[in-house]
Amino acid sequence: MKRVFVILAVLFIGLVLFAGCTENQAAVGSPQKLKIGVVASMTGPASTTGKDVWQSAVLAADEINAAGGVYVKELGKNVTIELVQGDDESTREGGQKAVSKLITQDNVDLLVGGFSSAVVSAHESTVADYSVPYIVSGASSPIITHRTDVKTDTVFHHAPTTDDSGGQTTLFIDDTIRPAINAKFGFPSDRPLRLSVIYQDSPYGKGQLDAIKKTIAASNLNINVISEDAFKMGESDFRTVLTSVKNADPDVVYVAAFLNEQTALVTQARRDVGLDKIFIAVECNDDPDYYSGIGRYGEYSIIQSRFSPYAVPSGPIEQSVNKFMSDFDKKWGGFPGMMGAATYEAVYIGANAVEDAGSLNKTRVNEAIGGTTMPQMVEAMKNETISFTPDFRESKFDLYMEQLIWNETAKETRPVIVWPAKLKETDFVIPDWFKPGQE
Amino acid sequence: MTGGLDIVLQVGIWGLYAGCIYILLAIGLNLIFGVMKVVNFAHGEFLMLGAYVTFTFYAISGFNPYVLLVASVPILILIGVTIERLCFRPILGTGKLNEIFISIGLIYLIQNAAAVIWTDEYRIIHSPFESITISVFGVNLPLDYLIIIITTILILIGLYLFLRKTRLGKAMRATSQNRKGAMLMGINVEKMDMISFGIGAGLAGAAGTLWVVSGQVFTPYMGSIPAVKAFAIIIIGGLGSIPGAIVGGIILGLAENFAIFTIGGAWKDAISFLILIVVLIFKPTGLFGESAE
Repeated sequence: MKRVFVILAVLFIGLVLFAGCTENQAAVGSPQKLKIGVVASMTGPASTTGKDVWQSAVLAADEINAAGGVYVKELGKNVTIELVQGDDESTREGGQKAVSKLITQDNVDLLVGGFSSAVVSAHESTVADYSVPYIVSGASSPIITHRTDVKTDTVFHHAPTTDDSGGQTTLFIDDTIRPAINAKFGFPSDRPLRLSVIYQDSPYGKGQLDAIKKTIAASNLNINVISEDAFKMGESDFRTVLTSVKNADPDVVYVAAFLNEQTALVTQARRDVGLDKIFIAVECNDDPDYYSGIGRYGEYSIIQSRFSPYAVPSGPIEQSVNKFMSDFDKKWGGFPGMMGAATYEAVYIGANAVEDAGSLNKTRVNEAIGGTTMPQMVEAMKNETISFTPDFRESKFDLYMEQLIWNETAKETRPVIVWPAKLKETDFVIPDWFKPGQE
Repeated sequence: MTGGLDIVLQVGIWGLYAGCIYILLAIGLNLIFGVMKVVNFAHGEFLMLGAYVTFTFYAISGFNPYVLLVASVPILILIGVTIERLCFRPILGTGKLNEIFISIGLIYLIQNAAAVIWTDEYRIIHSPFESITISVFGVNLPLDYLIIIITTILILIGLYLFLRKTRLGKAMRATSQNRKGAMLMGINVEKMDMISFGIGAGLAGAAGTLWVVSGQVFTPYMGSIPAVKAFAIIIIGGLGSIPGAIVGGIILGLAENFAIFTIGGAWKDAISFLILIVVLIFKPTGLFGESAE
């Protein structure tokens, strides 16, 4: 009897333990959450943008979770999104560490974010080693999905590339600014526009310059690039470069620079060097800090945009843009920025892909992201749809051009959309102080 | 502008302006090195703090930012004295490696502290004279640059008089020339260390104020590159030599700007080190060397 009792007791204990083990294994083997790693510059020089990226991702995840989460057919239930922060410290090395940890220790199902092309390029090999789907919503150099030295077939580019933004802006210059100058000053209509390019000596800046030249050549535009001047990333003294540009005497100065550089450059150009030309800023500058920093010196300049703090394109996305900005402001305070907007969308793209795949299997999720066809959300997209090109996995944005006009109430300039025709609020204006370039 | 002499003059003025900032930084470094023989890699962070102190007082008071030199310089002197007492004095004479790591550590500490206090968003303020230009040899220049150059000259004259005409200045020079000899003559060399570190930081603070009023942007991470340039200048001019720092600063400011104008902005930093290499090859002690002091 005693022996039977012992055997039964051992069996019981064994069963309990076994049951415990299986329950535990089930917890590990059947994920209850969709884990998304957010690669963001939470510290270092790019931390302002990094915080926008992280906070926008949190907003998207909260919205999806509040609506019941993401349905995963394979599990037969909805799972909630858990975001894991990966701080790239605004450096290549920091990015490599963060992404490596997100993949190998946090076991994320997919990645979103990625601020700079240089930083993203540095950790792409880790992403390739583990074949993790990665929706890059910050970096803009096309190289991140075009490169051939590293496998990039799990990397999706959800931000306008420098080819896209440089190309569309060059078309705008030829289409709108050149005829306006020729008409105002009585020049022959075939007078070529004199363009100077000042660009950051980085893949981003060089990409913009390449895009301008390629677009001029491909579309046979009547634009002469009369000077090209590079500057070091983070530069704050542009006076000599601007003196050189003044000597070249352009009509328009296209500047491929980040916010801190752009503000100083335009201020010094107008104030110190007396460069009375039309300045063009790239899209990352469309931020409240630009308007407050540049003051009157920004008046009549052009800024390319896809998500602006002060100009919302009327039409199908107007409501969702206003809602996103209002929700962000309520939750975090402030403006999410265009990288925040793209990351917000990236979390939705990831969640949508998991539902389409019906699984958290990375290969299947990757295929589903490639086949994404979603209505545009808070940024205007080509064909009003978010999808990725089959060749380089790039989504295509509808950029617009804004001209900065002084607003007496705000005591700052405010943007009005002047291009393309379907979004235009008013005509492009040439200011009275503008002096056209001379041969 | 049609090219020629007026452009050369304009680029020369930008070079002089850049040289003024470099001179103030490099002289501070040289004072500290001359007296203490300490290499402070965190010197650029004093420039950054000077910029933020100016910004803060400007935001609070709305005073003319030039007037705020009277705030930034004393505050930076105080910060310099505190750092000397807490960080450098305990390790003085324990080896160069300790000094290097202390100063590198200070870079991160000061940058992070500034990012916490002022956030790491870039800042810019506008000088009250920004719309005023004056004609210099037919070239229109903003008044601010003339004020900056004159202010730097006045600071240098003040420093010269302090070092040459006051007992304290003479004691500092004596400590710089022969520390043991100065001690034997009854000079409190530790006090000289503290004062030289404070003045060095104060000069960097003045450079920070002038940086801000010239309309340049600033962030907590702005100090590293100017500090590297200041090191290049003191090597070009000669370690410990104040005239060397002045000449080196002007050479570097002009060379950088003419390099940007002729061969492009990407060469701005490279030209500093090209000059450094050339000077070291032909005159390894620098243009003015130790013996000039």
